[in-house]
Amino acid sequence: MTLRDTSGRARTASLGTAAAMAGVLALSGCGAGGDAAADELTVVVEGGGLAELQPIADLYKSETGTTVTLVELPYDGLYDRVQSELGSGSVSFDVAALDAIWLSAFSDGVSPLDDLFTEDVKADLFPGLVSEAQIDGEYVGMPIFTNSEILYYRTDLFEDPQNQTDFEAKYGYPLAPPTNWEQYRDAAEFFTRDTDGDGQIDLYGTDVKGAVETEWLATVSQTGEEHMVLDPETGEVTIDDAEHLEALDYYTSLLPYAPAGSAQLDWAGAQNLFYQGQLAMMRFWGHAYTQTPDDSPVAGEIGAAPMIAGAGGVAGVPGAWYLSVPAAGTKQDLAKDFIAFAYEHNDLSIDTSLGLVARISAFESQAEVAGRENYPAILETLNAPATRPRPATPQWQEIVDTVLTPMLQKAVEPGADNAALLQEAEAQIEAILQ
Amino acid sequence: MNGIETRRRSTKAILYVLLAVILVLYGFPFVYLLLTSFKTPSEAIAVPPSVVPDVWTLENYVAALAKEGVVPALVNSVVTAVLSTLFSLVLAVPAAYAVTRYRTPSGRVFVLAALVTRMVPTIAIGAPLVETMRALGISDTSFALAIAHTTISLPLSIWLMASFFEAIPDELEEAAKMDGASRLGALWRVVLPVVSGGLAVTAIFAFLASWNEFLFALLLTSVRAQTTPIVIANFQTQFGLDWGAMTALAAVYSLPVILLTLALQRHIVAGLTLGAVKG
Repeated sequence: MTLRDTSGRARTASLGTAAAMAGVLALSGCGAGGDAAADELTVVVEGGGLAELQPIADLYKSETGTTVTLVELPYDGLYDRVQSELGSGSVSFDVAALDAIWLSAFSDGVSPLDDLFTEDVKADLFPGLVSEAQIDGEYVGMPIFTNSEILYYRTDLFEDPQNQTDFEAKYGYPLAPPTNWEQYRDAAEFFTRDTDGDGQIDLYGTDVKGAVETEWLATVSQTGEEHMVLDPETGEVTIDDAEHLEALDYYTSLLPYAPAGSAQLDWAGAQNLFYQGQLAMMRFWGHAYTQTPDDSPVAGEIGAAPMIAGAGGVAGVPGAWYLSVPAAGTKQDLAKDFIAFAYEHNDLSIDTSLGLVARISAFESQAEVAGRENYPAILETLNAPATRPRPATPQWQEIVDTVLTPMLQKAVEPGADNAALLQEAEAQIEAILQ
Repeated sequence: MNGIETRRRSTKAILYVLLAVILVLYGFPFVYLLLTSFKTPSEAIAVPPSVVPDVWTLENYVAALAKEGVVPALVNSVVTAVLSTLFSLVLAVPAAYAVTRYRTPSGRVFVLAALVTRMVPTIAIGAPLVETMRALGISDTSFALAIAHTTISLPLSIWLMASFFEAIPDELEEAAKMDGASRLGALWRVVLPVVSGGLAVTAIFAFLASWNEFLFALLLTSVRAQTTPIVIANFQTQFGLDWGAMTALAAVYSLPVILLTLALQRHIVAGLTLGAVKG
């Protein structure tokens, strides 16, 4: 082979490479998603928010001509992205859909929305959501949809005559969806059994989630505790008081009626167990009512009821998402206009995959509608006086990740000393807050 | 003699068993992902999980590919990875060649400094990159993302290419020069064809670094240039995890890399052994 022989091939290869690069560069200039229009609003959302907001964005486009582009990001990614851009003071989005627990962390970087919170608006929102939206005296986000844990139960088991007879004979009162701690524990115990006679328990009364904290926080509120974990006003850490211990003791008292592996059980895991027919009851977020897979053995046999009550009454934890406008955004007025529009047309989110809304009137409009049995349950839980939002502190996510979840994972292990765990948690939280 | 033969066979058998174990350890997660992508939604989340689907279905693939943004994201991933690979090679080849051929102290410092940049956490340069791309007016483009991905792959590409160039005796270039080639001509016509295996290894490395990258894609793209890793992650929302569709898209996304690796397999093996015969 001579040098001259290879030069022809080399030239051809060079030309081919150059042509390919030109094509790639042409494509890379904009990306395959198409060019962004100048008169559009960009809203960063998590997957759930995308489903909820799409019909509102579509209507906004048809009524105002402004395109609202919803940019879907993973949950953790959305936090990182918003934090990074608000921190830099230069943002690529006009509106952000924020989880309730992020509001206090991002409040310095977003514009006040006080003028949107009229008395009429506040009257049509759950009290917990109104208080949660206000950080340091300013409203920093408009709730766009909210969730709450409710009680799910197997109607085939609860309506079975034999079960009803046996339950009443054993516990002295009729079998019905439980409304308080004692009834829930009784039902959990009753349904934990070996259904096929192989000597192995294959149906459990409930689950106990050790890898997520919100269900235990709801239990804390059910005791009547007014400041779950800490009081953000005074900075006092309350996690080591009697109510928190009572809640943790009750929470872990359900372990004998739950499948093994609670320390690693999170939302998805619990939902799977219920859909597989391995649980008789589950406390879970309200949106799941319409999400049962068609081929699930319990499809069509699921009932919904308000969250259970402790000594302090029924309580859940509001799981709301808020629309906020970054202070560094260049389309402040348009962004606020869209948020006002989204509030006005909040009922459009009813017919989405999650079917969650924020306004009380939107929830009430569906109260009698077949297939929306979760709405009254959510409504009652969110309206309950004991239902309280999580503390508004910028360190909340850190407290959850480094203190609350690890503490719960230890608490669901055999032989755990709940009082000692709460004491330890108190010290850890105080260190974080300092 | 028989004893030696028996021992040799036993050693070979043990090696094959070890290879099989390693293959299963590496391959099982992907095989499981692939099998899950063919399960029904209910079976995909079954507890305890099944390995082989009871009912085979393509509905996860239909659902995944029908999801808005999936196809543009696949195109963006290809464009970004190809561009980033080209950037890496175009910059790494001359850099590595100069360092290995001129052998100056500053060259050695340069190679070390290039490696040190790999020790900087990606997140630390994420925010400055967002600012830079926005100032340049190229944010949310595959071009900007490819540049960001090049910062990840370039240092190791230089190291890889340098090791391959080291294996080429200087005499080869001397001969080319005696035939009238310039230094660049010798590099292009003689050295690069000899290290084509190394080029393939480096290209695959750079391609994979971009193909799988998540953080820069998250920070630097929004509407127009979002890549598939972000879309795959979006199947897990705060309200549920769509295992079936997620595994289906992950399987689709693995396909180009598998095909590319198979296509370049011979070059890769040659490249991997190139450094080993340095003399």
